[in-house]
Amino acid sequence: MTDTEAPARQEAFRVVGQSPAHHDFVDKVAGSLLYAADWQLPGMLHGRVVRAEVASARIAAMDTSAARALPGVVAVLTAADVPWNQVVERATGGLGELAVAMPVLAADRVRYQGEPIALVAAVSPQVAAEAAELVDVEYEDLAGVFDAERALEPGAPLVHDEGNVLVSWTIARGEVEAALAAADLVVEGEYRTQRVEHAYLEPEAGVGWIDTSGVVTLRVATQVVEHAATIATILALPTSRVRVISTYMGGGFGGKEDMTVEPYLALLVWRTRRPVRMVWERQDSIMASTKRHPFVMRYRTGVRRDGTIVAQDVDIIGDAGAYPYLSPRVLFAACVTASGPYRVPNVRHHARAVFTNNAPTSAFRGFGAMQVTFGYEQQMDRVAARLGLSPQVVRERNFLAKGDTIPTGERLDTAVAAGECLRRALEALGEPARPSGPGRRVGRGFAVNMQPYGRTVWFRDRAACWISLEADGSLLLRSGVTDLGAGQAASLAQIASEVLGVPLWEVGVHIGDSQLTPPAGGTFATRQLYMSGNAVLAAARALRAGLLPVAAERLGADPGDLAFEDGVVRERGGDGGRSVRLAELAAACQRRGVPTEHLGTWHAETGTFDPASGQGASFPDYTFGAHAADVEVDMETGELRVLGYAAAHDVGRAINPLRVVGQIQGGAYQGLGYALGEEVVVEEGQTMSTLLASYLMPNSADLPDVKAIIIESGEGKGPFGARGIGEPTIGNPAATIANAVTAATGVRVTQLPITPERLLAAIDAGGGDAR
Amino acid sequence: MVAAPFGYECVSSFEEAAQALQRRGEDAKVIAGGQSLVPMLNLRLARPAWLVDINPVGAGPIEDHGGYLRLPALTRHRAIEESDVVRRRCPILAEAAARVGNVRTRTRGTIGGSLAHADPAAELPCVAVALGAEVTARGPDGARDVAAGDLLVSYLTTTLEPDEVVAEVRVPTLGPRSGWSFLEMSRRSSDWMVVGVAAVVELDDDGTVAAGSVAFGGVAERPWPVPAEVLADLLGAAPEEALLQRVAERAAAMLHPDDDVHASGQYRRRLAAVLGRRALAEAAARARGHGGSAP
Amino acid sequence: MSSPTRLPVTFTVNGEQREAWVFPHDSLLDVLRDVLGHHEVRYGCGEGVCGTCTVLLDGEPVSACLLLAVQADGHSLLTVRGLSSGGELHPLQASFLRNGAAQCGFCTPGMLLTAWALLQRDPRPSRERIRRELVGNLCRCTGYTKILDAVEEHAAEGIGGHD
Repeated sequence: MTDTEAPARQEAFRVVGQSPAHHDFVDKVAGSLLYAADWQLPGMLHGRVVRAEVASARIAAMDTSAARALPGVVAVLTAADVPWNQVVERATGGLGELAVAMPVLAADRVRYQGEPIALVAAVSPQVAAEAAELVDVEYEDLAGVFDAERALEPGAPLVHDEGNVLVSWTIARGEVEAALAAADLVVEGEYRTQRVEHAYLEPEAGVGWIDTSGVVTLRVATQVVEHAATIATILALPTSRVRVISTYMGGGFGGKEDMTVEPYLALLVWRTRRPVRMVWERQDSIMASTKRHPFVMRYRTGVRRDGTIVAQDVDIIGDAGAYPYLSPRVLFAACVTASGPYRVPNVRHHARAVFTNNAPTSAFRGFGAMQVTFGYEQQMDRVAARLGLSPQVVRERNFLAKGDTIPTGERLDTAVAAGECLRRALEALGEPARPSGPGRRVGRGFAVNMQPYGRTVWFRDRAACWISLEADGSLLLRSGVTDLGAGQAASLAQIASEVLGVPLWEVGVHIGDSQLTPPAGGTFATRQLYMSGNAVLAAARALRAGLLPVAAERLGADPGDLAFEDGVVRERGGDGGRSVRLAELAAACQRRGVPTEHLGTWHAETGTFDPASGQGASFPDYTFGAHAADVEVDMETGELRVLGYAAAHDVGRAINPLRVVGQIQGGAYQGLGYALGEEVVVEEGQTMSTLLASYLMPNSADLPDVKAIIIESGEGKGPFGARGIGEPTIGNPAATIANAVTAATGVRVTQLPITPERLLAAIDAGGGDAR
Repeated sequence: MVAAPFGYECVSSFEEAAQALQRRGEDAKVIAGGQSLVPMLNLRLARPAWLVDINPVGAGPIEDHGGYLRLPALTRHRAIEESDVVRRRCPILAEAAARVGNVRTRTRGTIGGSLAHADPAAELPCVAVALGAEVTARGPDGARDVAAGDLLVSYLTTTLEPDEVVAEVRVPTLGPRSGWSFLEMSRRSSDWMVVGVAAVVELDDDGTVAAGSVAFGGVAERPWPVPAEVLADLLGAAPEEALLQRVAERAAAMLHPDDDVHASGQYRRRLAAVLGRRALAEAAARARGHGGSAP
Repeated sequence: MSSPTRLPVTFTVNGEQREAWVFPHDSLLDVLRDVLGHHEVRYGCGEGVCGTCTVLLDGEPVSACLLLAVQADGHSLLTVRGLSSGGELHPLQASFLRNGAAQCGFCTPGMLLTAWALLQRDPRPSRERIRRELVGNLCRCTGYTKILDAVEEHAAEGIGGHD
């Protein structure tokens, strides 16, 4: 298929690049969208997960008789009731990670506080809660380990008999030790990041039932409908007997990427043969749902006197919690990006995922490549300070460019607009602020990042999308994509509308059904615009190519002179001359046997990675961006105020600019929460507070508006040259704030979050660490 | 969120409420605004056998009695925040009420409920102690008056009998030569305070301190009034920065706050010294300026 | 266990009279959702801090998760579905749509109701005032800017008065 029908880059787009408000967004402001918990069926039961109260123990005995006997309880299930009590993580495997089993319900061993040990289905949520309390468990405490560094020590308690190191990745090029020895200056730094929670406003939820064909059907808030296969395995059913329908989610951020309610809901539905609803209590979610990996990062950066990097050695230890989930993938992403958007001729990145008896960690927007920004961007500022150079000059001297080789040995084949992002972000802040009073200091800081978009290429990623032209000239799209709330579905409609000229309100989109929509893979890794966007583009172009000759014949015109717009096909530049409505074209195609539906499949580029040499293919491409901030510090209390904040990202092409700005502003705020206060505090495996009130995510009052700047290099690998923007924007804030704080106070905070108390302690300790 | 079941009755007077509490026994609780109680019910941390709902009792207007304001116990925080008479006669109370939670908390939460709940990190108990407010507690056999400082004895603990309910609160008004300050350090706007301070300073015609009252919140198991002997250094003296700092530091040194997830006790003590000084300075500046309230 | 008797409650929701038989321990949130079908009122925390359960009780914003259903007896409730009329979005909703103020949409009803209630008291609030009023409505997706823009723009249109 040639590219001649695609809108040329010079030609103006009709809807791409506009910001129409359509599709699910209308239902959201009207309040009529039905989320996962908003579903009721006759005879519906209420399901509840019974969770372990201790972090590391053997289950000596479990007595469910009192729970079963409670009036209104229909089922109480334990490990023995699970046909195949193992979650098979399909997203990992084959690259040297430990093969460790994770049970659906713990049988004899508990490895984290909150681990599911039993399930209850009852006639009301209140009876289910009471029954859960009546499950009587006798625990025998086992020594646990709650710190990843401690877990690496010889003699540390083993979370799994196989060992505490889940996986170890090394990426290396050149001669890092020799280059460090020969460097004019080596800056060392140690950085620590904390455990944070996705805190989507919609808790984990879903409703399951057995349909009229006997298929276990789950309507759940999930980023991945492909989990249907895993659920079928757990129930010992063929995959065709389990169907997962994803709802429009009230936020996901990676927290709904692994299964949440699905296996428990499926088991209760399968056992009771009745519809079951399960909604997790917020406090249980805070305690036990997957979290972001806390990292300990050690950097040694070797530079020449002029600030050019000659060598970088990074060691990362990630706390994987009690079970693998997606930890190998997260640590791989961290390993690839640990030096950031800079040339590093001699480099070694070593990353390990380590088990502890804490709640498991897994996917969270940024996925490992996010935490390392806190490391490399502070290192760059430290280098500048030690050499007496401007931080901006040091960046510019080292920025990657198209054609450069990154630590994995890959060549960057798209434009790197990092420098422009940095300039525009700093420009947007304007004049530096002045302190608002005595005892206050102000400072400006920035951070530049690179975030992969698209899955690791050795996964052989693909996505499919079905498009059909209906008899009335409207379009129907079917895609397995799931929608987190960032317009994943709406964007597909916008792309189809662009190619075929069908008005947006005449494009219907059906998404996320493991049995009814073509598989698109899950919504994560900032992959959907790249994958499903390209898939719908392919499908729409195929449809257009099929319609073109039919239209040309109808109009007696040359196919090259025809344009698809406003629901008709007409001669380009014609002033109301010959045109044919798409509905007529559909009928004509019907008569001639020309198909009016197409399945478009997009295959991502593929490659291989060699763990032994630490070289090979990693991610298809990256999004580069820079944030800058002015902060004011109250030197007596350590309180920090962000006075101004700007964020610039090269998105390749902004399909919907308003939505891109939304991602930039929203991601930046989530990153600011990470920088300033968010933490799920866990001591000896016990979560100290499970209240949402204690979880310090940003509200509307404490931070300034984020000035969002869109840069369009046009060289992304997504449709129309777009790059992914879902994840990149969360990576910069922590280092931006840390660098601004150093500029203001002369001290450097290397542990997150930067709380007033931590900052005051750093101020007390003096400025020695800033350099 | 699934509260454990309870019995429920509505009452339309405080006498009825007290009788109901007596009848139902120790396992009965009053529900007013519900902003502190219902979360605990939802999390199953509190499981009273009976709830006595006093919302139908209602609240009349806030009354100005010259030396004090009379607030019915069911006066909502929002009403206090927006009340002209409170803003004029006791602005520190309006300021504190405006800081309680978010707009939904203030629509339902009541002053009587806040004092009966006795959270030492809450705004109104702190101000009540600083101002020397008084409550009337109604029991089945009558009523008695209790000073706020005597009512609030420990973390979530008051001297109310199980069958008593707060019926009204009397808050002294600020005199024409008084200035006030309410400062709160919290991790986010609308959160409970990490440390808070309520200060009132009255100046003589020569600009020296005639009287002062300071109470800290979030530093102990109850709102902590700065002892008279510490404040004595201020009396007759000009409220200069160095003096205020000494007094605040002396007060802070007496504190032994606990650690929690949001701050350590040591940091709280540090904050108390800084906020105490700033509050005294702001109160003195207000006293010098337009005075604490309109005549 | 205490008395398991249900009590009758009557209140209006969006102008329509509704009745239900509820246990004393039933929250207004659960009754609105599971008995009366008002799923636009949402569960987010059960603590009163997230704002997804915001409804207007006699015109004032309250957390439905912190009200017992019995306490709503005789009162008048407004949910976000009561803002639109005759299938037409309220101009404030239209402003949210235009400005991209909803991403996942879960917080949106609470934001709309709280903002609408504010505008009844203060038709031209400053941006700072809007920020403070919305402090109890958490949003994890937008970073709040578009929400503030939408409320400000609608207030400036001058249609936001008593309606």
